[in-house]
Order: sequence, then C-alpha cells, then structure tokens
Amino acid sequence: MSERVILCIGTRKGLFVAEAPKTRGRFSLRGPFGQGVAVYAALIDRRGAPRLYASSCNPFFGMKVLRSTDLGKTFKETKAAPAFPKDDGRALANIWSLEAGQDKKDLLCGVEPAALFRSADGGDSWEMVDGLSNHAHARKWQPGAGGLCLHTIRLDGDRVHVGISTGGHYLSEDGGRTFAASNTGVGAGFQPDPYPEFGQCVHKIAGHKDAPGRLYMQNHGGWANWSGPGGPRPDIGVLRSDDYGKTWRSIAKGLPSDFGFPIVVHPHSADTVYVMPLVPETRTCPGGAPAVWRSEDGGSSWTRLARGFPKRETFLTVQRDAMDVDELKSPALYFGTTTGQLWMGSDGGEDWSCLFDSLPPIHCVKVAVV
Amino acid sequence: MELPATPVTVHVPGVLRGDCDGASELSLEAPSVRTALEELERRYPALYRSVCDETGAVRRHVNLFVNTSHVRDREGLDTALVPGDVVWIIPAVSGG
Repeated sequence: MSERVILCIGTRKGLFVAEAPKTRGRFSLRGPFGQGVAVYAALIDRRGAPRLYASSCNPFFGMKVLRSTDLGKTFKETKAAPAFPKDDGRALANIWSLEAGQDKKDLLCGVEPAALFRSADGGDSWEMVDGLSNHAHARKWQPGAGGLCLHTIRLDGDRVHVGISTGGHYLSEDGGRTFAASNTGVGAGFQPDPYPEFGQCVHKIAGHKDAPGRLYMQNHGGWANWSGPGGPRPDIGVLRSDDYGKTWRSIAKGLPSDFGFPIVVHPHSADTVYVMPLVPETRTCPGGAPAVWRSEDGGSSWTRLARGFPKRETFLTVQRDAMDVDELKSPALYFGTTTGQLWMGSDGGEDWSCLFDSLPPIHCVKVAVV
Repeated sequence: MELPATPVTVHVPGVLRGDCDGASELSLEAPSVRTALEELERRYPALYRSVCDETGAVRRHVNLFVNTSHVRDREGLDTALVPGDVVWIIPAVSGG
C-alpha cells in the first residue's frame, strides 16, 4: 500500500483521524473515537506494524488508553490505563503524553498529577516510574492553569528528558532510573527567585534526533513588564540548550512575544525551529493576525510565516501539543486551535490552509507518514 | 459467628457493561456498599476502576444509590445493605 499521511487530532470530544495521500491533496476525516471525551495525548507508533494510541480522559469513569491496529479505522481500550499504587494517595486526573519507549512494545506515559508510567506490553499494563514520580521534588510541584502535567517525554538512548508544568525540565542519564532537575538558565516569572532549581512552567521541549545535545524549549514567558520581587524577566520564554539540557539560554530576541505553547523542530534540520507566539494575557495571536514564526539558524533570527492566514479578527489559541510536522521531503506543519480549526502549512510552513474549520476544541495534533 | 448472607443486586449502566461481560445486573453478597465495591473489584476490576479511583474514592461524576437513596444521604460507603437491596451505579448529569 502506498504511503499516507495520518493525523491524530485529539479534541475535547474525542479523537479524530485524518488521512491523505502523500500529495496531501485531500484529507478524509473519521471519528470521533473514544466516547466523545477529551483526548490530550496521541501517539502514532511506527515501530513494526503501525499502531495508534490516544488517551481518553473520561470525566465520569476515569482514564482510558485507546489503541488502533488498523490506522485509526477502529479503536479499542487497552486492558488497563496507568494508575497510582493504592497507598500512594494520588489519583490520575489526565494523560498528557504518550511516547514510544526503548523496546518494540515499550510505551511511556506522562500524566496529571505529574508522574511517569511505563508499559512493556503496548499499553495493556503499566508500572509507575519511581525515579521521577517519587522524586524528592514531586510533592512540591504545583499545578499551572492546565493542571500539574507531565507533558513532554524525549528519549535519547539512556537519556530521558521530561517537561513538567510547573516542575521544569528533569533529566535522567541512566535510562529513567533516576532523574535530576536540569533547569540552569530556565526562568520563572511567577516567584521571587527568577532562576529556581525547579518549579518552572515549562510548556514544551523539542529536539532533533540527529542532534541530541540540542534542545529547544517553549517556557512560560511574558514577564518582561513584571513588577514583582526580582523585577522584569524578559525573553525567558523561548530557550535553547546545547549540552543535553544541562544549561539553557534565551533565543527569544526577534519574536513578537516570548509566550506560547508548542515548539516544533524541522525534521531535516536541527537549526530550523517553529513557535507560535501568543499574547500572554489573552493567549491569542497578537493583533488577531495568526502567524507561525520560524528560525533557520537555531534561534538567532526569526521569520514571520503568515501566508494564507486571516490578517485580522482571528484570535487563535494553540495548545502545547497541538502542533506537529510531517517528515516528507518538503514537510508540512499542522496545528489545531481551541476553536476547532486544523491548519496545514505546506512547504515548511510557507503556505497555510485550513483543512477542517469546525472540529471541537483541539488539544493535540500528531502526524506521521505510514 | 458467621454473618447472615446479604444477597443484593448491583445495577450497571449501559456504558459500563463492557467491563462486566455485558451484564446489566450483578448478584453478590455484601452487607454494605463498601463490601459490594470490594466484591466488584475482585470480580470485575475494570468496572471497579470506572466507579472508584486509585484512592478508593467514588469518582466525582458517579452516583451510587441504594434503592432510591443516594449513599451520600445515608452513611456513604458504610451504608448497610439488607437482602434484596439494589445498588444503582448512575453517571451524574453533567456536560458542556
């Protein structure tokens, strides 16, 4: 069968799957799957026969994990969802991240309240990863507006990076056995200490598989005019690390706002990174004119990409996991909005078109060519 | 001294019947709502997990009734059951 582009679109009312030939000429849509409840995390697992996974945050009956073995034509619940041990005292509120683990059926799952789980059997059973979930800092992490969520998991051999809002960036260098806060240079605007050891409101971390030491972070920015203790903290929102996340530095100069949620790296260039700056107070596009901003030099300079977007009266919000990029030769970006539009930016984000304009509010977008 | 048997029925809402082999009603012996839930956990762990979270608390949007009384208006999970009682699992009305 010829390759297709598959999009998993997690919404407030369930999971949708969109499919198109590699030309991306027309996307067909199916769904919603998962009892019409919120989906904050999805994974298109291409190890072996493709499998699609999605979280399903059922406000009535708790968390479920959905799995499809037919490219999203049908989904079934796995035998179990992550759950805290009975004597732990915490109860699962949401699943924010699903990622492929080391072995063929290994999965990793980031949850709310912030904790990490691992499955060795494709999601049918789960065990808590103690090194992160019972870290000495764990009971001191605080929820941000979206909840106390572990939203980012990045694997690089024995290194495991996780991002927590609000907890910061944690790094394991022993395959996930132990973790340490790794936030040097990551600012926080909502407490007296501008550079605490941990507790930052990290929004998303991204990288490129061929440059594992290089990481990009969308942090909670918007503190340039803060008048609290410690004074203003400009440009702490968009950051870069060149030492596997040990230290970070700002690359926000040139952006209209250092506040935003997603950050995405070009599949063929570790120097090319995309963000969507938002007004920190409203979390919508500056001036009501949507734009994705791209740097092709690792964050030294930025270019505004807006061809195809409305030029006014369009106050979109894009959440942390609602932007992704495919891996075709000339890749396309995709993002979903909290007002239910799914946009595609062809030619690396140069030309934007709205694929679907009336979906439920979108929480996450994942794309793969399978 | 052996306690007298307390045969009761648990009524399962349609949306959760997949967690208990499609049954709409389950017959079990339980002298209280708590022990009824414990029995559900033993026999149908997925059904139990849909009703209670990891801490054992009944989920916020799930209501348990004994016949026509909400357990919160009686003794909560310690509400005593008598032979013939029906425990109803009913999702709350909420949406948006």
